[in-house]
Amino acid sequence: MIRQFELVLSLLVTLIVMVLGIAILGFGRGTGYILHGWVIAGFSAWGAMYLVNHLSDPAPVIPLEYKDNVIKWGVLACFVWGVIGFTVGDIIAWQLAVPALNGDMWWSNFGRIRPVHTTAVIFGFGGNALIATSFYVVQRTSRARLASETAPWLVFAGYNLFVFLAVTGYPMGITQSKEYAEPEWYADLILLFTWVTYLWLYMATLARRAEPHIYVANWYYLGFIVVIAMLHVVNNLAVPVSIAYPKSYPLFAGVQDAMTQWWYGHNAVGFLLTAGFLGMMYYFLPKAAGRPIYSYRMSILGFWGITFLYLWAGSHHLHYTALPDWVQYLGMTMSIILLVPSWGSVFNGLLTLNGAWDKVRTDPAIRFMMVAVLFYGVATFEGSFLAIRPVNTLSHYTDWTVGHVHAGALGWVAFITFGAMYKMVPWIWKREGTYSLRLEAWHFWLALSGTLIYVGAMWNSGITQSLMWQTYEPSGAFTYAFIDTVDAMRPYYTARAIGGFLYLLGALIGAYNIYMTVNGPRVEAKDTDARPLAQPAE
Amino acid sequence: MTPETHDAVLVFSKTWGAIYLFVVFVLALIWTYWPSRKSIYDKAEQSPLGDEEIRQ
Repeated sequence: MIRQFELVLSLLVTLIVMVLGIAILGFGRGTGYILHGWVIAGFSAWGAMYLVNHLSDPAPVIPLEYKDNVIKWGVLACFVWGVIGFTVGDIIAWQLAVPALNGDMWWSNFGRIRPVHTTAVIFGFGGNALIATSFYVVQRTSRARLASETAPWLVFAGYNLFVFLAVTGYPMGITQSKEYAEPEWYADLILLFTWVTYLWLYMATLARRAEPHIYVANWYYLGFIVVIAMLHVVNNLAVPVSIAYPKSYPLFAGVQDAMTQWWYGHNAVGFLLTAGFLGMMYYFLPKAAGRPIYSYRMSILGFWGITFLYLWAGSHHLHYTALPDWVQYLGMTMSIILLVPSWGSVFNGLLTLNGAWDKVRTDPAIRFMMVAVLFYGVATFEGSFLAIRPVNTLSHYTDWTVGHVHAGALGWVAFITFGAMYKMVPWIWKREGTYSLRLEAWHFWLALSGTLIYVGAMWNSGITQSLMWQTYEPSGAFTYAFIDTVDAMRPYYTARAIGGFLYLLGALIGAYNIYMTVNGPRVEAKDTDARPLAQPAE
Repeated sequence: MTPETHDAVLVFSKTWGAIYLFVVFVLALIWTYWPSRKSIYDKAEQSPLGDEEIRQ
């Protein structure tokens, strides 16, 4: 009965999305928008057909084992989007160093290609990593199978459809120009359906748990899911002009719109790129090191600290703007206090390795996770520092910000993901271990040197830009024309592109290693021949 | 919004906002470190380390 209800509900949602797709392809103007209509309609029609075909099936016997098949697809999507995102990122990095490489085509300008990079890495790579690992962690720590057979597929498919629509829309100019929330209303609606399903599935699985206490990693994952739902809805409150066009107008205007956007933008960092990945850390680091979390209570206190403080920090993106001063000071203060729970998590992570530091030397996956925690410490310290208003006069609108976000994204988010993936992939595919530890180590060192070169280059270019912008003649005129400051960036932009290339190379090696692991032999089941012979009693 | 309303909202958020966050922090602290809850956490931190057999 519950299964029937769930299937009908899934079918209903799929049909609603299909009608949306058909309306877009029928009424839409503009090639890109119509193509999106076809993709949405085709994709959801296929899903609806599948559901209709299975509606009258007898209830399948659900095995008493964890549901890992959807996680495997999540790992695949994570690496595919990762490689796409890193490649596009490095291409635009080379274009900034050598502008002629851009080709100057209508679809290829920086403003259209950059969101392809950010969406592919944040939502494609990071989001799929979070969905896949959260399904893994919630099942293991609850000792229970995912609460539904269909919902995980809806979450996976709907989410990746959203990312696909987003990434293919930007080059064609479909964007609402809100940073990290660029997709237009129809893609946002698909994500809304997906995310509500994800939230329900996660809570329903937790409700089935065989453990009295909910393990702390799930708190962080759930915090990520709940807050992203809230942010996505509020920041995308908009009225489409007509079904014929992708364009919509946001509910808020002026400084209110800016504040809503950066409340969204900063908490996407705080809950997707931080809380979600802390959930990953609090499961995979202790599990891989074979040591319990150094202080479990600290991890809980850190959860409440991060949850309550992050939500107020967004206004530090709008220092010295039309935003009222007191809101700017509020954001600055909260950002500084935020350092306490952030570094609490850093020390908690590092001290968890006490008694297992030898594994940092021998196991590249643990080395990835350890360095991820260090970069988390660096990035959160830097973030609190940059949020201070006078410091922000130096850093804002410069490449320092770009360096800061990449210290967090390359150093923390991607490092913890690679570490967790190198552990989780052999576990779910039932392999002895990864294909090659040597390649894992190569990946690690390439990624680390790439990150250090990238971040170092951006610190230098950012401070150079800022100082050149703020140098005046005795008469009060600017010493440097703006184009002088652009010209001065050449060496740093070349260095950044080289760093990005090393990082991409590492990720390609990582993807190959994961592919070979999946392709490799399974763990041998111990049959009777492989066991020692029973000794006769003496 | 009149300047008076703005000022009133500002004073309210500056005072009660700070008190609210501090009270939440103290409650979280007490709740987390309450001595009788220690056994819950001692058991929970071992949760990923033991066998992870499915039970339902």
